[in-house]
Amino acid sequence: MALLCYLLSDCIFRHGSTLFPLLFYIVRFLRQIDGYLAKLESGFITLILSLMIFLSFGQVILRNFFNESILWGDIFLRQMVLWVGFTGASLATRERRHIAIDFLPNILPATWQQSIGIFTKFCAAVICIFLAQAAWSFVAYEREAESVLFLNLPVWIFQIVLPYSFILITLRFILSAFEDLLPFKRESR
Amino acid sequence: MTLLIVGVIVLLAFLGTPLFAVIGLAGLISFHTAEIDSAAIFIELYRIAGSPTLIAIPLFTFAGFILANGKTPERLARLSQAILGGIPGGVSLVVLVACAFFTAFTGASGVTIIALGGLLYPLMLKEMYSKDFSLGLMTSSGSLGLLFPPSLPLILYALIAQVSIDHLFLAGIIPGLLMIFLLALYSISQSRTFKINLHSFDGKDALSAIREAGWEIPLPFIILIGIYSGIFTVTEAAAVTVVYVSVVAICVNRDLHPIKDIPRLMRESMVLVGTILIILGTAMGFTSYLIDEQVPMQILDVMKQHISNKVTFLILLNIFLLAVGCMMDIFSAIIVVVPLVVPIAKSYGVDMVHLGIIFLTNLEIGYSTPPIGINLFISSSRFSEPVVTLYRAVLPFLGLRLIGLVFITYLPILSLFIPQLFER
Repeated sequence: MALLCYLLSDCIFRHGSTLFPLLFYIVRFLRQIDGYLAKLESGFITLILSLMIFLSFGQVILRNFFNESILWGDIFLRQMVLWVGFTGASLATRERRHIAIDFLPNILPATWQQSIGIFTKFCAAVICIFLAQAAWSFVAYEREAESVLFLNLPVWIFQIVLPYSFILITLRFILSAFEDLLPFKRESR
Repeated sequence: MTLLIVGVIVLLAFLGTPLFAVIGLAGLISFHTAEIDSAAIFIELYRIAGSPTLIAIPLFTFAGFILANGKTPERLARLSQAILGGIPGGVSLVVLVACAFFTAFTGASGVTIIALGGLLYPLMLKEMYSKDFSLGLMTSSGSLGLLFPPSLPLILYALIAQVSIDHLFLAGIIPGLLMIFLLALYSISQSRTFKINLHSFDGKDALSAIREAGWEIPLPFIILIGIYSGIFTVTEAAAVTVVYVSVVAICVNRDLHPIKDIPRLMRESMVLVGTILIILGTAMGFTSYLIDEQVPMQILDVMKQHISNKVTFLILLNIFLLAVGCMMDIFSAIIVVVPLVVPIAKSYGVDMVHLGIIFLTNLEIGYSTPPIGINLFISSSRFSEPVVTLYRAVLPFLGLRLIGLVFITYLPILSLFIPQLFER
C-alpha cells in the first residue's frame, strides 16, 4: 500500500502540473478558501479566549471581594474550553502540528517520508469522517434528550463544535495530502 | 482477526498517523463490534468537561506562551547568573534553575530547549564547559521542572486520575527538588575538571538583575501562596496568572505588542491545547470502554499470578513507563495510559498522588532517553549537532535521573510528606 502510494506520488510529483492542471487549480483554490477560514478561526480563538480570561478573572474578583459569582459562569467557561480547543485542533491539522509518534518517518529516506505522509493523511481523513459522524449522532442524542445547560440554552448548541471540527479536520487532511501529492511549495509555518 | 486489527492500528501509529485518529479508530472499531453507538466515544469527553480544573489548561498554557515569547528567558538567565554565577559550577546551576522554572510554566513541549537553549548553551561554552557536558545538561534540563506547579502534565494527570490537584501540586515539590539537587551535585563536581574562571559576586549587578526580573520573581509565590492559603482555587490561580503575566508583558515590560503579538500567541497556544484536547476527546471513550470490558482487571489477574508485592509491581511499572515515555509525548501518554494503570496500581496499594509523581518522573526521563526520546531530536536541531552526539552527552545525566527515579518510586514519603502536612 505504501509502495503504491510511493509510486503514485512519484509519478504525480514529476508530471503533476502537466498531468492534472485542473486538479492543480482546484487544490490551489481550496487552499485559498482554507486560508480565509483559518483567519476566521484565529479571530474566533482570540475572541473567545479573551472572553474566557475576562470572565474567569471577573469571577475571581466577584468571589473574593463581593462574595458573589455569576452562576452559569463556570459552566459556560468549560464549554468555551472545548470550543477554543477543537477550533485549535482543526487549525493544528492545517499547520501539521498534530501529536504523532514520528520517529519511524524521521529515520526513513525523504522520498519515503513523503509518501508515508500522504498515506497516513488519507487514513486519518477516513477515520475522521467516521468520528465526525459519531460526533454528529452524539449531538443528535443530546438534542433528543433536550437537556439544558443554563439560561434555557440547550446543551447541543455547545456541542456543535465537535462535528464541525471533525468535518473540517477531514477536509484539511485531504487537502494537505493533495498539497503533498502535487508540487506545491510548502507554506512556511 | 482481533490480532490483525490491533496490528494495523499499531502500524498506523508507528507510521506517524496523528494519535487522536489512531485512538479514534481503535474506539470506533471496538464500539462497532460491541454494537454500541459510536456516539459513546464523546460521552466521556463531556464528563471531563464537567470538571472545574479543565479551564486551568488553556489559561496556564497561554500564560506559558506569553512568558516564553517575551523577554522573560533573558531576564531569568541574567538573574540566575548574577546570583549563582559566582559559585563553582555556577552556570550549570543557572541552567538547572532557569530550565526548571521555565518548564513548570510552559509544560514539556520542547519550549524550554528552544527558548532557553539559545541563551544558555553559548554561555556554557564561553565559560569553558565541555561541549558534551553542556549539550547533555541542556537536553536533560528540557524536561526538568515538570513536577513543579503549575505544570500542564500535573493538571492533566489530576484531571484524568481524578485526584486532588492541590495535593498533586504539593507532592511534586520534593521529588522535583531532589532531581535538581542530584544534577546540581554532579554538575559542580564535573565543573572542577573544566578550567572555569570564577567571577566574583557583584552585588550591584545582582541587584539590577533582581530589579529587572522584579515582576517575574513573585509569580510562583503568588500561585502557591494563593492556592494554599485558600485565597483561590487552582482554576482561579490560572486566571490570575494569565492576567498578571499579560499585564506585565504588555504594559509594564512592554515585551509584547497587544495587537501584533497577543492574537498570534493566543492562536499558537490554543493549537497546542487543541492537539491535547482532541486526543482527550477520542481516547477517553476508548479507555472507558476497555475499563468496562474489565481489560485492566484481566491484566491484573495475569499479573497477580507472577507479581505478589508492590515493589516488583513498581519496578515493572517503571520499565513500562520509561518505554512509553520514549515513544509518546507526555500528554498522550497520560491520557491513554493513566486510566488503564490506575485500577491496577490501586489494587497493589499504590497511593494515587504518589502514582502521579512516578508517572511524570518516568515520562520526563523518557523524554531524553536514547534512541528516540523527543528532546534529543529537539536539541539536535536547536544546537545543530548530530543526534548520536547527544546520545553520548545525555548518558551520565540519564543515569543520575534514574537514581532519582528509584528514590522517588520507592520512598513514597518524598511525594506524600508535604500533602500530608497540609491535610492536618
